Order: sequence, then C-alpha cells, then structure tokens
Amino acid sequence: MEAQRKFIVPIGPQHPALKEPGHFQFSVEGEIVTGATVRLGYVHRGIEKGAEARNWTQNLYLFERICGICSHVHATALALGAERLAGVEAPPRAQAIRTLMSELERIHSHMLWLGVAAHEGGFETLFMYSWRDREIVMDLLESLSGNRVNYSVNLIGGVKFDVTEKHHDEILKGIEILEERTKHYLKVVTTDRTFLARTRGVGLMTLQQAELFGAVGPTARASGVARDVRIDAPYEAYPQFPVRLVTDDGGDLLARFKVRTRELFESYRLIREILNHMPPGELTTRVPRRIPAGETISRVEAPRGELFYFIKSNGSEKPERIKVRTPSLCNWASVTQVAIGHKLADMPMILSGIDPCFSCNDRMVTINRGSSSQVWTWEELRRYGIEYYRQR
Amino acid sequence: MNNLTVHPLIGLLLFPGGLFLLASGLLYEWIDRKLVARFQNRVGPRFIQPLADLVKLLAKEEISPEGVNKPLFFILPVVALAAALTAALYVPMAGFVPAGSFRGDLIITLYLLSVLTLCLGLAGANTISRFAIIGATRTLTQLFSYEAPFLLALLGPAIAAASWQITDVDFYAQQHLWMAVTQPIGFLVALVGLMGKLELPPFDSPEAETEIVAGAMTEYSGRGYALFRLGKNIELVIGLTLVATFYLGGLANPVQFLIKTLGLLVVLAALQSLFARLRIDQTVGLWWRVGALLALAQLLVLFLLR
Repeated sequence: MEAQRKFIVPIGPQHPALKEPGHFQFSVEGEIVTGATVRLGYVHRGIEKGAEARNWTQNLYLFERICGICSHVHATALALGAERLAGVEAPPRAQAIRTLMSELERIHSHMLWLGVAAHEGGFETLFMYSWRDREIVMDLLESLSGNRVNYSVNLIGGVKFDVTEKHHDEILKGIEILEERTKHYLKVVTTDRTFLARTRGVGLMTLQQAELFGAVGPTARASGVARDVRIDAPYEAYPQFPVRLVTDDGGDLLARFKVRTRELFESYRLIREILNHMPPGELTTRVPRRIPAGETISRVEAPRGELFYFIKSNGSEKPERIKVRTPSLCNWASVTQVAIGHKLADMPMILSGIDPCFSCNDRMVTINRGSSSQVWTWEELRRYGIEYYRQR
Repeated sequence: MNNLTVHPLIGLLLFPGGLFLLASGLLYEWIDRKLVARFQNRVGPRFIQPLADLVKLLAKEEISPEGVNKPLFFILPVVALAAALTAALYVPMAGFVPAGSFRGDLIITLYLLSVLTLCLGLAGANTISRFAIIGATRTLTQLFSYEAPFLLALLGPAIAAASWQITDVDFYAQQHLWMAVTQPIGFLVALVGLMGKLELPPFDSPEAETEIVAGAMTEYSGRGYALFRLGKNIELVIGLTLVATFYLGGLANPVQFLIKTLGLLVVLAALQSLFARLRIDQTVGLWWRVGALLALAQLLVLFLLR
C-alpha cells in the first residue's frame, strides 16, 4: 500500500525536457524528490550485433552513427583498436588530424550541452546564444569534412582528408571568436545570480560518491576525480600535445558548468598547438583487408567521458565481437542517487548535468537463469524486435 | 477630466473594449514574443502568428480527458476570459474614459485579474494529470506570493490620490509628476508583480515546460486552451495599462497609451530574457522576503510624508 500512495511524476519517454526517449520516474512529496528510477532502451538499434555482419570498413560507418554528437570518437576508438590488432599505426599527420577533429568535436559537444543545460533551467537566452556561437565550430567541421555531423574522418590506417592552409586560417579565426564568447559564458555561469541560485549546491556529488558510482568524464572531474584518458593513457597525437587536466572540487552543477567551460579553453589551446605544429607526411598507411585474429581494448576520451571498446577479431573480414561501453552509461547511477532530496524543479538540470546521451547506451540484455546460454543471430534479433513491437 | 469618451455600447463591444481588446491582446502578445526573440538573437514570429495560433486552436477538436468534471472543464476558460474582459471596463483603455467607473473599482479590477489565475489553478486541479496538478499547486502558490505585494504596490498611487477609483488616480497622475519617480520602489514591485501574474519568465515555474510540460494547462487543447491564452493576452494589456496609468503619469489619450504601454512592454521583454527560471520556492521567497517588505516600506514612507 505504501508504494501505491506515492505520487510519481513520470518524465518520458515523450516529454519536452527530453531530446531523446528515456523514462524517469520521480516519486515526490510536495516538490521534494524521494526516489528516482531510470528506464532506458527505447532506441535500441542492435548496432553491436549488426557489426558482426559487416566488414571492418563498413563498421567504421556504422559505429560513427552510435552517437550524433560524439560521432568522431566512436570511429576513432574502433579505428585505433583495429589498427592495433593489425599491427599498423596511422601516420603522424593522420594522428594529428584525428586529434584536431576530436577537440573540435569536444567544443561542439560542450557548447551544445551548455545550451541544453541552460534551457532545462529556463535560461532561454543563454541557450540561444550558445547555440548561435556553436554554429561557428559546426561550420569549421563542415568545411573540413563536408559534414556537420558524422564527419567520417577516419579510415582504418589513416584519415580521409588533409588540413590545408585555408583550413588552418579558418580554424584559427573561428577559435579566436569562440574563445571570446566562452570567456563571456564562463562569466555568466559563475556570476549570474538567478543562474547561480539554480546551480550552486544543486546535484552535489562528493569525490567518494563519484568514485563509488564510477562516474567518468567532466561529471567525475567536477567532483574532483582526476581522470582523463587523454592524460592517463594518451592516444593519437596526445603524447605530443599534452592536455592539462581540468578539475573542480565543487561537485555540484556549478562545478560541472565550470569544468566543461574550462575544458573549452583547453581545447582551443590544443587546437592552436596542433595547427601550428602539424607534422608533415602521409595521410594513410596500408592495412590488410583481413585483420589478424586477436582481442584488444580501445579507450578514448569522448566529450562525455571515457569511451571503451572491446574488439575481437577472428582473422576474417568481419569482426567477431565489438562491445561498446559509452560514458553516459557510467553516469546514470549518479543521477538516480544524487536526485533524492532535491526539488522536482531541479531534476531537468540534474539530468542534463551529466550531459546524457540516450541512444548510445541503449542495449538489450537477455538474462538466462541457470546454465543455458543463448546466442542470437542478426536475423533472429531482427525478428524478435518486430514481434516485440507488434505485440505491444 | 480630459479623457475622451465614446458611446457606451461602442465602448463595450468595439472600442476600446470588446473587439479592440481582443485585437490588442494578440498584438501585444506578438510584440512581446518578437521582442524576446530579438533579444535572444532569434527571428521571432510574424505579426499574424498569434491570430493564426488562435484560429487554429479554435478550429481544433477539444478533448476532455478522463477523470475531469466536464462542466467545470469547459466553463473555466470561459470564466477566465470573461473576467479578463470585464476587468477592462474599469481601466482607461487606450486613454478613453472607462466604460464603468465607481468608487473602489480598483479592488474589483484586481480581483477580476486574479480570477484568471484562480481559474487556471482550478483547471489544473480538475484533471487527474500529474503535471497539471503540480502546475496548479505552483500556480496557486505563486498567486499567494505576488498578489499581496502587487496590491500594495498599486495602493501607493491610490493613497497618494486619496481615492480607490481608477479614473481619479488617472486624473491625479496626469496632474502630478510621474509616480514612477516619486515612488520608484512601488513601480518596480508593480512591474515585476505583473510578470508574476502573467507567469512570464523568470516566474514561469507554474508552466515550466522542462519539468511539468505545460503545467495546469497540460490537458487543455483546442478551444479551452485558446481562451486561456487569449485571457492571458488581455490581462497583459490591462496590466500594462494599469501600471502605466498609476505610475507613468496617467493615460490622457490613445497616443500616450501606446507609447507608455509599449515602453513598459519593452522593459518587460528585456526582463524576461535576462534571467534563468526561478524555482517556486525561490519565487515565494523573493516575493515575501523582498517584494512584500519593499512595498510595505514604500507605503510606510507614504503615510509618514502625508
């Protein structure tokens, strides 16, 4: 009976606060949240299974489409893993271009987040302004790769395009404007009183909690966790262009705003350095069509945190298994814990505070009790999906 | 009195009441939306957009959800709109002499302006939708927080004019220095109180879309929703007229009406785009800790100086 008397506010799967489908249940007493649950899986696409039916090159395109915001890092993680298995390494110039794109993507992702988080807090003006300025980096990405999203930079063993003198000047000019704007936004989020009233002390996550929940990325760094794959295990061109760690001890929403905004400055600095010290040379290296059998893991720092790939090859043209663990998945636990005790009005901001990405962490789990095991083919999985939705 | 007069029937149905009021409500909504959009670096809607929205909503099917008291569900928007329209009878719309005027009509006007909010709260509480119930709670909570300071703020000029009749205050204001200058605190409280009344950002937590969809109006569609919106637009015009009459040296003619109310609207739009949304507890805290005290201090000064 006690459970039935609870007043539960459902948010999602369709709700104006959500840009992607997810379902949250907040049980409230008045305005105070007493419990929170998350249910995901509305946009499960079977990508991991689909990977087994495609060859390595095709998979590069498939995995880039896991996320529409951090598409480049997904392809990079796969390419890095495949290259390691094949025993080749992309030429230095290709590595630098990949890193450059990663950082541009981080800028676009963080700017997008700044706008969304402001919108969730009802600060429409900041939302509109930050998204207007985000267009600068979107234009840069487009002029480099021809695409605004899914830039398709990577090949296994290199990159597809070069950064010319013209691009060089364009990027530097764009970065300069963005840096000015970012300074302004940092000032706004740290000094605007109505905004501070919504962020300071809200969604507090201590260092111990962050470690316990396994938080990653800027969400963890805002709680003082010194963790960044770009620093802990540098890949691509990061050994030549080291990143300075950005952390904050606040642990609240304000700290998350500060960390992400400061990371933008770090990205600007990195991009300038990469552009000014671009190594000359080839863009691609030869890679065998069949990747030798073996297993590897590949870790990269996505805008949202550590992105983890497990890749297994059986020596054929197609991978045996690719397992993806996206950063948002690690951060969900923190939301359901941190939410308790806050006001309902804070929920959208706490949710967006981890910069959640829904579709990239939707996965299907079949739990078999006992010892029986079950392996589904792509065709079976597809049929199951059709049947499942027909019955609903 | 130097205000213009028209035949009562025309005044009631066409100008400055009735049709004119509806049209000006839509026009002011457009100006507000356009200004906010420009402040936020957006393009904003075309001038016909509020009318188009209204026509579209009126033409749509009105769905009455399960679990509501149906007569109440349909009558509430009508009452809300009627109350807003009636309130216009006592204010010098467009600088004309009000259609009806008697001693103490200030209190009636303020009461009628609150009816809309009350209807909104009832409409939300009438449904079983959880978003609407939370929205209704917040709407009524907000009503209790801004209403007293808003009333106190409008009381200032009334006390200065020694009359609770709006036309008298209007006349007094025309003869004297702008009361926005002599009673700046009351002006500020009245202006911000108007924003609270209209649930404009940053006081829009009763209809915070990222939390509770559309608040109390979540279950409304079609005609009911259109009437509520229209009622709010008219309340915007009346509220602006009232504040302009009391604090900006009265409204003697239509030109003054246009300049003063539009001037206020620009300020209102700027305030809307400057802040992040306040939580409902912050709204209440702000009004009772700051708004009410300021308005009281203003009144105290007035009494002492008399």
